[in-house]
Amino acid sequence: MVGKKQGTLPFKILMYIILITLLVVTLVPFAWMISASLKANKDVFNFPMEWIPSQPRWQNYSEIWTRIPLMTFLLNTFKLSVIVTFLQVLTSSFAAYAFAKLRFKGHHALFLAYIATIAVPWQAYMVPQFIMMSKMGLNNTHLAIICLQAFSAFGVFMMRQFYMSIPTDLCEAARIDGLSEYGIWLRIMLPNSKPAIATLVIFTFVNTWNDFLGPMIYLTKTELKTIQIGLRMFTTQYTSDFALIMAASVVALIPVLIFFLSLQKQFVQGVASTGIKG
Amino acid sequence: MKKALSLLLALMLILSLAACGGSDETTGTTAATEGNTTEAEAETTAAPESSDETEAEAEPVTLKWALWDLDQTAYYKAIMDAYKTVAPNVTIEPTDLGSADYMNMLQTQLAGGSDFDVVTIKDVPGYANLVAQDQLEPLNAFIAEAGIDTAQYGGTTDQVTVEGELYQLPFRSDFWVVLYNKDIFDSQGVDYPDNDMTLEEYDEIARKLVNGEGNEKVYGAHYHTWRSAVQLFSILDGKHTVVDGTYSWMAPYYEMILKQQDDGIVMDYATAVSTSSHYRDLFYNSNIAMMNMGTWQIGSQIMAVADGTTDVANWGVVKYPHPDGIEAGTTLGTITGVSVSKNAPNKEAALDFIGWLSGPEGAKVVAGTGTIPAIHTAAVMDSITSLDGFPEDQNSKDALQTAKVYLEMPIHPQAGEIEVVLNEEHTEIMTGAKSIEDGLAAMERRVAEIIG
Amino acid sequence: MKDSSTTADKKIKKSSKLGSRNNLVAYSFILPNFIGFAIFTLVPMIFSLVLSFAKWKGTGKIEFVWLDNFTRLFRDEAFIRALFNTVIYTLFTVPGTMVAALALAMLLNSKIKARNLFRTVYFFPYVASLVAVATVWRFMFSPQVGPINMLLSQIMAEGSTMPAWTSAPGPAMFLVVFFSVWKNMGYYMVIYLAGLQNVNTELYESAALDGANDWQRFKHVTIPQISPTTFFVLMMLVISSFKAYDIFLNLFAGGDNQLSSSTRVIVYQIYNTAFRGLDYGYASAMSIILFLIVLIVTLVQFKGEKKYGSGQ
Repeated sequence: MVGKKQGTLPFKILMYIILITLLVVTLVPFAWMISASLKANKDVFNFPMEWIPSQPRWQNYSEIWTRIPLMTFLLNTFKLSVIVTFLQVLTSSFAAYAFAKLRFKGHHALFLAYIATIAVPWQAYMVPQFIMMSKMGLNNTHLAIICLQAFSAFGVFMMRQFYMSIPTDLCEAARIDGLSEYGIWLRIMLPNSKPAIATLVIFTFVNTWNDFLGPMIYLTKTELKTIQIGLRMFTTQYTSDFALIMAASVVALIPVLIFFLSLQKQFVQGVASTGIKG
Repeated sequence: MKKALSLLLALMLILSLAACGGSDETTGTTAATEGNTTEAEAETTAAPESSDETEAEAEPVTLKWALWDLDQTAYYKAIMDAYKTVAPNVTIEPTDLGSADYMNMLQTQLAGGSDFDVVTIKDVPGYANLVAQDQLEPLNAFIAEAGIDTAQYGGTTDQVTVEGELYQLPFRSDFWVVLYNKDIFDSQGVDYPDNDMTLEEYDEIARKLVNGEGNEKVYGAHYHTWRSAVQLFSILDGKHTVVDGTYSWMAPYYEMILKQQDDGIVMDYATAVSTSSHYRDLFYNSNIAMMNMGTWQIGSQIMAVADGTTDVANWGVVKYPHPDGIEAGTTLGTITGVSVSKNAPNKEAALDFIGWLSGPEGAKVVAGTGTIPAIHTAAVMDSITSLDGFPEDQNSKDALQTAKVYLEMPIHPQAGEIEVVLNEEHTEIMTGAKSIEDGLAAMERRVAEIIG
Repeated sequence: MKDSSTTADKKIKKSSKLGSRNNLVAYSFILPNFIGFAIFTLVPMIFSLVLSFAKWKGTGKIEFVWLDNFTRLFRDEAFIRALFNTVIYTLFTVPGTMVAALALAMLLNSKIKARNLFRTVYFFPYVASLVAVATVWRFMFSPQVGPINMLLSQIMAEGSTMPAWTSAPGPAMFLVVFFSVWKNMGYYMVIYLAGLQNVNTELYESAALDGANDWQRFKHVTIPQISPTTFFVLMMLVISSFKAYDIFLNLFAGGDNQLSSSTRVIVYQIYNTAFRGLDYGYASAMSIILFLIVLIVTLVQFKGEKKYGSGQ
């Protein structure tokens, strides 16, 4: 790890106090979520609130599967998230290599164009985009969401920043050894950017998982819809069923957390731990 | 570690390949359905030429219907089932666009060239936008041809007529009433409200009913966060509309309600916002004595009592309170209509369907599910008041007779923009960010800019 | 950082002599992403850029009005207020999130117990669906019935008014900044953690030999080494703060999804103008302003990055 010397005891205690306080602050809303998910909807906002429901309504957790096709939504969301993440990581890291380590005509202009487009809010161009995609026959297909999400400029930007900090000498040495640029990308850059890839994977996965407006516009057939639209189905014209929203949100949280945990180790296994020094 | 990563990559690759196959299939089926619709279209365009009705009946037609809350609303299924017996050749394929941003979603779908035949109209501003975008089929010719008498809608259709042309036919028409909890009135020793309640009387009664603390807190009345809950008391005298550009006449009503808020007679606006659309549950939990709300709550209340969601079984309903000197039963309303999309593949069939749904037969079906249809004939209203669980007292039964119904938002080319301003400034006033005068002045200034 | 950037420059000079073949190789790397990006994002975006000079209802004819939309912006009190709110929000959220994320990353990059548990829990808010957590926060900060104000009323002097978190300008801004730091710090913490893995440990050792203390090492070794990460985090935070919309809507929206003037942001104006006002051209003009602001900030940061990178 980073060669940070272990602090003195008071410092350590202070550190733990901070970390644990923050832990509690972070967890309180989730405790409320779980508590609400076990109540009758009419009691969710009762005050003063009851943290542990006296009569927990476990049936909320079975009701969410029958009130809406939650399983279909979860599977759809999972499928979309995996594909988008895969394409995003692949094409972004590919493009980022060129931006970080290669010199070519239009380098700056192109990169600036990429970044600048991140700044334009989607709401500003979603209608022209929707009209275009509909003309292409992509309305009501998962392909539409994949096309929208998989090629974002964000991923390129992020990977480029990480590649910048991988020493150019490494590439240089590989070039002398006769590796092609593609070879360098595959053998040097990819293995050395595991933390970055893991970060991008998590980011893309979570974003696709939690995306609402995109699926809302493009997926109007029930069998295609995603979990975030599902959550909104508990909100009707006149009222919302917050107990069920909370229960479904808890369920929706679990797959992403598992995903995060399985990638945890990757965040801290970078250049330093693979033994390559700049 | 490397192994795990490559395994993950491999898994993703397989999944994505499988998915691509999947999406190809979907595209395939979409193409196929498109093929069908063009065929159907060809058939329907051919239909008018042959006057032979039996032949037309034999042709299967699929109508695509855009709506919201499909599974959560009682009447959609009933409507579709009933129409199956009227027109056996017509299959209705509903598309649920969700309730939250329904009109915007519909607008987007239509702009993208969607093939909806029938679209449900949720509110007036969204309707005005669709008319401005030329997305809806004008209905005057059809209305004349089918012999529909728009007088049966109690004048509501006049308020959504754009330059002499009507683009929607209402099938639901809710209006505002007061639901009250009889047990609270009994325990506080207050007489039940009656069907001729002025705003002063209403304010007086509300003040007598407040009691309790915390979970047991009982508010005298309740206003949901919609601007209509406050602003629209002021249009009941018929002298103004919310699109006429002056708003100072709203001041007395804001004063009354802000005073109630300050005195703790009603829940304050900011709290109501922060606990979302919770009005229903406040009433279910006996936290509100009188709730001014739309008639849609009647069906929900009956259902909530039946399935045990609430133990407020002892409730009643009376006519909306009104300013002094205005006829009792004057209230505000909101209509839910159906329109035919300009690009409808099956225009004829779609017109027939909306004609049926907004007519007496459709009204009967809608009323059968406890929802107030657009046609308020005595027979229709009887079918609501005779529902199991509807309050037994005569006042409650009479409460559903209206004198004059004003729409929450009348038609205006810039209804959408005006609505935004009215809502925003309403929030300013209710949260105390602006004084009543400043808020209303801002309304006038901003609306003037819109109207030009 | 210094070594890599200077050798990169040398390398760049060398390879530019090789000319078009190298260009082709570079383009081939960019192409897969660029095709998708150009078709699905760039094209509609350019269309919306053109729209900013026109009037369009979402369908039908496009009527060019040239600069009218832009001149109108300067007179539009609602837009100016929204711009102001957005800037304030950005000014507080960006440093807040950055400091929190970097501090957490530093702490959790050292050898402490239950490190993985802490990391996972801090990441929770980022993963959770916005509609659910925003509902929770709204309730917790509810002026009359929320636990936060109940707690405050115990502490504060009798009779003092409780902050109206969900509506009054100051408290509302505090709430939304606090919320968004809470929601996003875990994610930027992960980015920083990843960035910290690239820090050359030998530099720490030599700094320690030179007698540098913790703070000096942090300042002179860690900070410069993670500057590409910092640049990225800063950019992303600035951009996402300027584009914030969902958070405001979910925390504050009253009847019919409307925000009051104290919580209105630019993207809210854009959405409302386009969808409810049917004025796509005007909405596009607003997004051009947003775009220009972010572009300027980006260019300044680019300059800063270069200067910082070479100045070491």
